[in-house]
Amino acid sequence: MSGDISIEHLSKTFRNDSTSTVAIEDFSLNIKQGELVSLVGPSGCGKTTLLRLIAGLEEPTSGLVRIGDHICTAPGPDRGMVFQDFALFPWRSVRGNVEYGLEIAGVPKAERRDRVDQYLETVGLTKFADARIHELSGGMKQRVGIARAMVTNPDVILMDEPFGALDAQTRNIMQAELLKLLAKTEQTIVFVTHSVDEAVFLSDRIIVLTKRPAKIKEIVELPMARPRDRASLEFTGIRKDILAELESENVMN
Amino acid sequence: MTGSDNIIASDTSTNGKIPLGQRLKASSQTIWRDKNNRWHRWLRTLTITICSLVIFLLLWWDLALLVQTAAIPTPDKVWKAAVDLFTNGDAVTGISMWANIWISLRRFLEGFALAFLVAIPIGMLMGYSKTFKEFMDPVFEILRPIAPIAWAPVLLFATGYTWGPVLVVFIGIFFPLVSNTVFGVKKIDHSLIDAARTLGSSNTQVFYKVMFPCAVPYIMNGIRVGSGIGWMCIVASELYASYGGGIGYFVGIQASIGYWPNVFVGIFIIAILGILTTGLFDYAHKVITTRMGME
Repeated sequence: MSGDISIEHLSKTFRNDSTSTVAIEDFSLNIKQGELVSLVGPSGCGKTTLLRLIAGLEEPTSGLVRIGDHICTAPGPDRGMVFQDFALFPWRSVRGNVEYGLEIAGVPKAERRDRVDQYLETVGLTKFADARIHELSGGMKQRVGIARAMVTNPDVILMDEPFGALDAQTRNIMQAELLKLLAKTEQTIVFVTHSVDEAVFLSDRIIVLTKRPAKIKEIVELPMARPRDRASLEFTGIRKDILAELESENVMN
Repeated sequence: MTGSDNIIASDTSTNGKIPLGQRLKASSQTIWRDKNNRWHRWLRTLTITICSLVIFLLLWWDLALLVQTAAIPTPDKVWKAAVDLFTNGDAVTGISMWANIWISLRRFLEGFALAFLVAIPIGMLMGYSKTFKEFMDPVFEILRPIAPIAWAPVLLFATGYTWGPVLVVFIGIFFPLVSNTVFGVKKIDHSLIDAARTLGSSNTQVFYKVMFPCAVPYIMNGIRVGSGIGWMCIVASELYASYGGGIGYFVGIQASIGYWPNVFVGIFIIAILGILTTGLFDYAHKVITTRMGME
């Protein structure tokens, strides 16, 4: 298994009849296996597009994304994704949602059951295995989303503002739980967020992006031990610096 | 111990073991006073419904007496005709009322089943493939605005009295079912498809594991709308038919020989069967969408 990601000279232009929008231009970045990298940037800068390119949900205009030693052009089982709006299947139970990827992969029923049970336990939803999606709170929904993405054991997990739809308190709880969950795995995480606080709390590295077309403005390494104290001077200092960087990229200027 | 303490104490001690008489008395009081009580709401609806129907009956009676035409009989005559028809059968055609009802219902169900089998795959494909939709659209746009009943003479002549009415029902249900299915596929939350793809689904798997379940509530709505239209079609096409039975046929024959109370019996049977079928599909729609968590 190899979760090294290398993005080489990636460009993406969206075209329609009258306009063409350059979302990403000549973007290169290397991410090591097991790293948690956050992408932050002004809204509309193309960070979600970048994530979707890695996922294979969009085709690059030029350049390529390499995972391990193969070039990815379409979605594949080596990459899982967690969505901001959860994107759970409402007609399936919690178990049915988590099971989906295993079903597609043709895993036998008994093994599927065990794997799902194991992941439901990790995210604390054992009691809700047979619940319907609409019966869950936002935080619980995203736990299902995370379990669904992780159950197939992909090398890379892509998270597109996964906690963006949650209230501040639930958000903090989910961040802490995510870190606990990731401590046990070797998976590479690419995390898109617009919350600098969240990025500083979670990441090994933060990639600060410019406004569209997205380029790397700065890379911030975060060697601090986890769990991190949001009130510490170091934490608030880094947060302030990144916010200042983003402020200068404000679309208004 | 004060009085209020006493009440609380006795309340908790007899909790769950209140005598039946007292419980009934208490619940009958809540029925009248509590506006949110289930029985209260049910009784209220029932009362209003009965009032509405009684007033309608009285107005009809008045109107029948006012206009004094044989074509509008008074309710009591219709009732007598109904009792007679259901006990002795129809002397003119020699077909019992139950047989007529069964003939119409069977045609309706056959047309419905046919539409179900044909319209859903076509609608799904039209929603899925832009090319297929562009290919089907010109024909659809020409055929859709035509009232299904306009096909009745053609189809009755071409396919006979057995298949003719069935095919008219088919046409009536087909179009609303196709357009609702297409709409359902188009309305799919795109992130569900993205999620399925990132979990390794092929295009075919996305189609039947995600797009189809997503479209089910819309398909059910198409069935609901279509069944109403289909029911109108069956009666109207039977009116054209000169033999073969069915409620529409019965109404046509009775009108041609001037047995107006019998005509009205037929009309009421049509209304009741219409209410039953749409009610059934309404219920199915509700149950299925709720069960799928997609209200």
